[in-house]
Amino acid sequence: MKKIWTIAKWEYLEKVKTKTFIVSIILTPIIIIAFSLLPTLLSDEEMPRVKTIGVIDTSGTYFNLLQAELEEFKIENQQPQYLLINLTERNKTTDQIKTSANNAVLKGRLEGYILLRFPDNDSLIAEYRSESIGNFRDVGRIESAINSVRIRKKLQQEGIQPELASFIQTKIELKHVKVEDDGVEGRQDFLITFFSSFIFILLLMMMVVYSGQMLVRSMLEERSNRLIEVLVSSSTPEELLAGKVIGLSSLGFTQIFIWFLIGLALAGSSLIPLGAFENILPMLIYFVLGFLFYTTLFVGIGSVVTTEQEAQQITTYISLILLLPVVIAMPAIQNPDFIVIKIFSYIPLTIPSVMILRLNISPVTTYEIIFTILIMLLSIIIMIKISAKIFRIGILSYGIKPTFKEIVSWINEK
Amino acid sequence: MLVVENLTKKFKDTIAVNNLSFTVVPGKIFGLLGPNGAGKTTTLRTILNIIKPTSGSISFDGNTITNEYYNLIGYLPEERGLYQRSKVIDILVYFASLKNLHKSDALTKADEWLKKLNVNQYRNKKIIELSKGNQQKIQLIAAIVHNPRLLILDEPFTGFDPINQQEVKELIHTFISEGKTIILSTHQMELAEKLCENILLINKGSEVKSGKLSEIKRKFGGNNVRLEFSGDPRIIDQMPEVLKFDSYNNYSEINLNDDVLPSKFLKQIIQKVDVKHFSVIEPTLNKIFIDLINENN
Repeated sequence: MKKIWTIAKWEYLEKVKTKTFIVSIILTPIIIIAFSLLPTLLSDEEMPRVKTIGVIDTSGTYFNLLQAELEEFKIENQQPQYLLINLTERNKTTDQIKTSANNAVLKGRLEGYILLRFPDNDSLIAEYRSESIGNFRDVGRIESAINSVRIRKKLQQEGIQPELASFIQTKIELKHVKVEDDGVEGRQDFLITFFSSFIFILLLMMMVVYSGQMLVRSMLEERSNRLIEVLVSSSTPEELLAGKVIGLSSLGFTQIFIWFLIGLALAGSSLIPLGAFENILPMLIYFVLGFLFYTTLFVGIGSVVTTEQEAQQITTYISLILLLPVVIAMPAIQNPDFIVIKIFSYIPLTIPSVMILRLNISPVTTYEIIFTILIMLLSIIIMIKISAKIFRIGILSYGIKPTFKEIVSWINEK
Repeated sequence: MLVVENLTKKFKDTIAVNNLSFTVVPGKIFGLLGPNGAGKTTTLRTILNIIKPTSGSISFDGNTITNEYYNLIGYLPEERGLYQRSKVIDILVYFASLKNLHKSDALTKADEWLKKLNVNQYRNKKIIELSKGNQQKIQLIAAIVHNPRLLILDEPFTGFDPINQQEVKELIHTFISEGKTIILSTHQMELAEKLCENILLINKGSEVKSGKLSEIKRKFGGNNVRLEFSGDPRIIDQMPEVLKFDSYNNYSEINLNDDVLPSKFLKQIIQKVDVKHFSVIEPTLNKIFIDLINENN
């Protein structure tokens, strides 16, 4: 036991001090934060500006109403954000007005202009013309303002009370709430629940990839420089194996923990919608079991691969299996009893991620949870035995990559 | 004392080590010799408890191998390598703690050895920053820092310059005077010849020759003398004591009949030619090695 601890401590401390680890711990959150903040930063940049927008309104009845409608958008000092200018001139044709409006836009005097045409009584063709066509926010606001004005006008024409008109125009949002096992309503929004399980699966995958690669790489190093011989003449291969797995897993957990703290410091407690983790206990169990299973699998691989590239490739492919829920998420939501999803919930490689997903989108029976956990436990025990055998022999065979047949014979050796 | 009895190791269809028996006594260097692929490394690995023998037994000071036994052994593998990006002192302390040394003892011991081998200035450097020879020294310290009672050295001199080789030789002699048990595995026959008292020569997994090096040499030496003289070589060639006479530019080598004592032969030839130099030739271990292995093959 003491040696396992010594080995675990060494693996942990030596890796924690490396530049790669420190850089990845700091850089990854920075990248994530940058990516999530960048769009907001970029679009917020133009917030304080008052925008002058022209209106060509051939009916002459829309301009005032539109202005009133868009007045609700203000910039910091209570000035309206959109300054509307009526471009309609009695003695000019629409085409003439358009030409001078286009000029004004190109010269920057106008942000853009709204062109409203009325082919007949009840129809309206609306255009927003501007130099850049990417400003979704402005376009969206103008569009809903025009629609709102159009409906209100019609309702007024038909003699409907203004209060009634605003009632008709109010939209109701549909809330999607998950019904729990025992028939009680879930407290949380379905989407939050759904994405919380996704975050869990992503975390699991990142940890598996990270620790798995560390493990395979460290074993590769010790095998290629023959250090392994000194190590296994100081401790049993099983102690070495256990020490490595414990040390490098702790490293993975450290990383996740630090990211979690950074996130907490930046976003406050709003980061964790506590209700979203109603299934936190089974989710954690699947997380830990999944992590252990993949780690022991990586040990077997680490005892066989001979080059860095090979190691990289195999770890990446294996980790992709964990991403399976992303692919099957939609069918799983639409039809949780889909047979393929049921099958994946009983295969050790996919149990953790698929079950974490299923826990959050549909009722899963306690029986199913216990059964899959038992499968996981059993597979981990078998995997440890297999990997330990491959490890015992593989670590001492250098240079030549064993064939699959040879590996099987190692496993069968007593 | 290390006792190996009827050690056999089979891998699937090949026999790597076949029924080897030998004893390594403390205070004397034991040489495990043999050509490439003879089974030296497999033998060492079974002694180190890295692999289990198919049959046979290994005991150290009367006890069969247990995990406790690990802490008594120091091992310098043939191919060297250390964690390239770790600090010298950290590695030494790690290896010492793997041998159950307490951290503070490990630090003291490591520092002692760093001073003794003149690499103290690299204490806090990373391995990658050290020259090859200095890396080898660190690895040697890692093998001995826990003061092992059994020391297994696989090609300990490769990669060292003559000055460092001398240092290592002196170190080995110190261990011998301390009564440690030492197994030396090497291809370098001149070094084995200078250091080893007992040897085991193996080929294709089996014993070819074992015993005291001096006795083996005497037995294999035949009865050879080296002679420098002036006079007629034919006189010597025709003597009944001479089995074979080889004349070179500056000296001659003479193979005498088995029952002829070199000293008596000298008395006889002194009367016939002018002797400038006379010596008994012992065959080099190198020659014995080559002859025996060729014969065996």
